[in-house]
Amino acid sequence: MAGIIYELSQLEDSIIRCMKCGTCQAVCPLYRKDLVEPSVARGKIALIESVYEGRLEKAGDILNHLEYCVLCGRCKQNCPSNVKTDEIFLKARAVLKKIKKMPGWQKSLLGFVMDHPERVTKLLPFLHVCLKAGSRRVGNNALRPFMLPMSDRNVVSVKKESFVSKYKGFNYAENERMRVLYYPGCSVNYIYTSWGKAVVETLKYFGVSVYVPEIARCCGIPAATMGDIELYRKMVNLNFDYFSSIGADYVITSCPTCEYGLKEIGERETKRKIPSRVIDILIFLDEVLKIDFTMPFDKKISFHLPCHYDCSYSDLPEKFLQRHFSSNYIPLKNTDCCGFGGTFSLKYYRDSKELALAKAEELGDKKIDTLFTACPGCAMHLTDALVSAGCKTEVLNPIEVLYEGIKSGVPNRN
Amino acid sequence: MLKKNTIREFREILGSNNCWNRPEDVICYSYDAAYEEPVSPDIVVKPGNYNQVSKIIGLCAEENIPLVIRGAGTNLSGGTVPLSGGCVLLTTGLNRILEFNKEDLYAVVQAGVITAELALEAEKNGLFYPPDPASMKVSTIGGNVAENAGGLRGLKYGVTKDYLMGVRFYDAEGNLIIGGGKTVKHATGFNLPGLMISSEGLLGVMVEFILRVIPKPEYSKSLMVVYNDIIRACETVSEIIASRIFPATIEILDNFTIKAVREAIKTEFPAGADALLLIEIDGHPEVVNKDFDRILKICNSFNGTVRVANNKDERDKVWEARRMALSSLSRLRPTVILEDATVPRSKVPAMMKAIQEISKKHDITIGTFGHAGDGNLHPTILTDKRDRDEMKRVKMSIDEIFHAALKLDGTLTGEHGIGFLKAGYLEGELGAGTVNFMKKLKHGIDSKNILNPHKMNL
Repeated sequence: MAGIIYELSQLEDSIIRCMKCGTCQAVCPLYRKDLVEPSVARGKIALIESVYEGRLEKAGDILNHLEYCVLCGRCKQNCPSNVKTDEIFLKARAVLKKIKKMPGWQKSLLGFVMDHPERVTKLLPFLHVCLKAGSRRVGNNALRPFMLPMSDRNVVSVKKESFVSKYKGFNYAENERMRVLYYPGCSVNYIYTSWGKAVVETLKYFGVSVYVPEIARCCGIPAATMGDIELYRKMVNLNFDYFSSIGADYVITSCPTCEYGLKEIGERETKRKIPSRVIDILIFLDEVLKIDFTMPFDKKISFHLPCHYDCSYSDLPEKFLQRHFSSNYIPLKNTDCCGFGGTFSLKYYRDSKELALAKAEELGDKKIDTLFTACPGCAMHLTDALVSAGCKTEVLNPIEVLYEGIKSGVPNRN
Repeated sequence: MLKKNTIREFREILGSNNCWNRPEDVICYSYDAAYEEPVSPDIVVKPGNYNQVSKIIGLCAEENIPLVIRGAGTNLSGGTVPLSGGCVLLTTGLNRILEFNKEDLYAVVQAGVITAELALEAEKNGLFYPPDPASMKVSTIGGNVAENAGGLRGLKYGVTKDYLMGVRFYDAEGNLIIGGGKTVKHATGFNLPGLMISSEGLLGVMVEFILRVIPKPEYSKSLMVVYNDIIRACETVSEIIASRIFPATIEILDNFTIKAVREAIKTEFPAGADALLLIEIDGHPEVVNKDFDRILKICNSFNGTVRVANNKDERDKVWEARRMALSSLSRLRPTVILEDATVPRSKVPAMMKAIQEISKKHDITIGTFGHAGDGNLHPTILTDKRDRDEMKRVKMSIDEIFHAALKLDGTLTGEHGIGFLKAGYLEGELGAGTVNFMKKLKHGIDSKNILNPHKMNL
């Protein structure tokens, strides 16, 4: 126990910066829902403090509160005192996991998925069939499993064949002007394979050859959020090694959380500099390729900004849609987090869904045909809520529509 | 420690979802935004209706349980810290705007409504709710009334007390009390809204307010004035007021604060300036322009260099930089102590001089900014609470700041309240007789002293 307290007290220099002003209440999606202090960053910081200052004996008891956080990062972005909340919470979770250990099956499963992506790929057809047989179709390409505890969720199914098994290796662009590496991440590799396809094909169309990894390694974020920081570091190191071996200037992603896991906390936890610039596909198209086109997409559309989207480009996707698609663009009033938060939604599904349902309600009211987003996690979670709310809005990544346009010959290469 | 039976009774009133007594829950209510030592309550409750509020008070009265009311917990004088444990009652669950009356220009709101939400609602209706404490994005109206919150617009528009027309609260026995009403004139009975303003949770549990809203000014103009000598800046402020001009806002930033803001964000703030005044005038365009010319002349006569914000973008940048003052300072050292000693406006130059001398004498870093136009300065002490020796000097500096303010006919606090951080100084300003009168009032209303005990030394 003394060890735990010592390790938590190592966070004091970051924690003491918090002046308890409470500004985080204004932006925390969970506080705004619950209106109680343990939900918000200030409360969680006070809890960690109370352990190493000796005011709370059972340190393990605060873990539930620490895990009740979507890690959306809004408290950090809006903190007047620049408190690095996500860093503090991830470290504290990792320390406290030493007392409140992860259940054995969780640890084994996590280890298996991360260590053996190739075996997961082999299991895909089986998982796909099981899920299909054990569920009914509920629209929006989602399935509702019959079995508890999943029977209240609308699941976007894993695909029979993973993205990398189709696209792995070098995808050569005829009019090649650049080579990049595409990092699909697990969600695109197993579930949103259509995003991966659209990314590679679109890049090729614009003269960019694409390496796709033979093995799609996880970025490690689920391990970090569940408190297994060692496993997380291992994954980041493996990915960094791989990036170095390819040596591309750009690593393209279509999952902001992978990007966040690799770039921001990845660099910090491994104390290594990331070998390539990791960049979201939309930012790459806009800033590096400077593509310029307008294509028809005759629908009422909107956009949900993923929390981990590169914050220096937070208005880029919205502008991208408005500039390139001739649609009726309607901004959303509710700019909150969708509530997914990866492992957060597994542990606190009901709270997580409540946030997504609030968004679904607005989408329904405004009769949005297509909601664009740039994160497969958000897409999955919002689809779940939209189906529950009986709302017909489809959820897409802009790259999918762009690729459809390319197939019908709309955007010009330039 | 509460008895098991008592806890069960709390649960019966509230249901188990709105009632917490585990250590890891109540610790989250052991502090507010002041820098004091945390003290945990025994139980935290979040009522969703007035009936529950009344019953909770009844139970606390019966069992002699101290009762502390808390909104967003942004208090800067320790007023929401449950010094002797007991029950913390959250008003966050009472958060509806019940009525917004555009004809009679008032709003009826519950205690947990967030200040910014009321301001926004007013704006939507083409109206204006002026009090704008820095914490307005999270602070609650209940807390604003209990502390008589101010903000940047005090000079022309006054503070929360100037907008409170009516209040509903429960007394220490759980009876509903109705004070004031919806009429502009109101002479029926005691002025209870006046009593409850600044009552800091000691006289009753406030649940509902009637607040005045006013027409929105149609035009405004902002200017930034740069000085080589902060005292000249302060003299400018005194002269503007003496010339009977009432800008909406006159804010001052000292050299240290300007540097801190420049380091924290990209801003137009000039490097090397000893002080800045940020002035906003609003109202009818003709009057605004006339006042603007007069202010220009005054600034020039005190060697201030005037820069005018020409468009909305420039104006927003200037005010954004001002809003960043406290946070920019807070990034420099681990502990921030924000004071709010206030003096009559003509004494601002003298007060500023006194703060500078105190800072030098005790070798303590103090950045000063604040609402110069209403005499409400915010000397902000940057320190590290772990450094005992420095904290001693900080304590002495705070003492001397208060004494300086009182000597200049000022007051201990302009908008943060007394709580318990300033309780020890209360008698120094008001005298033993006044404190005794407050004591009699408090104990007459709350004979068991269950409502926020020990605050203001009562």
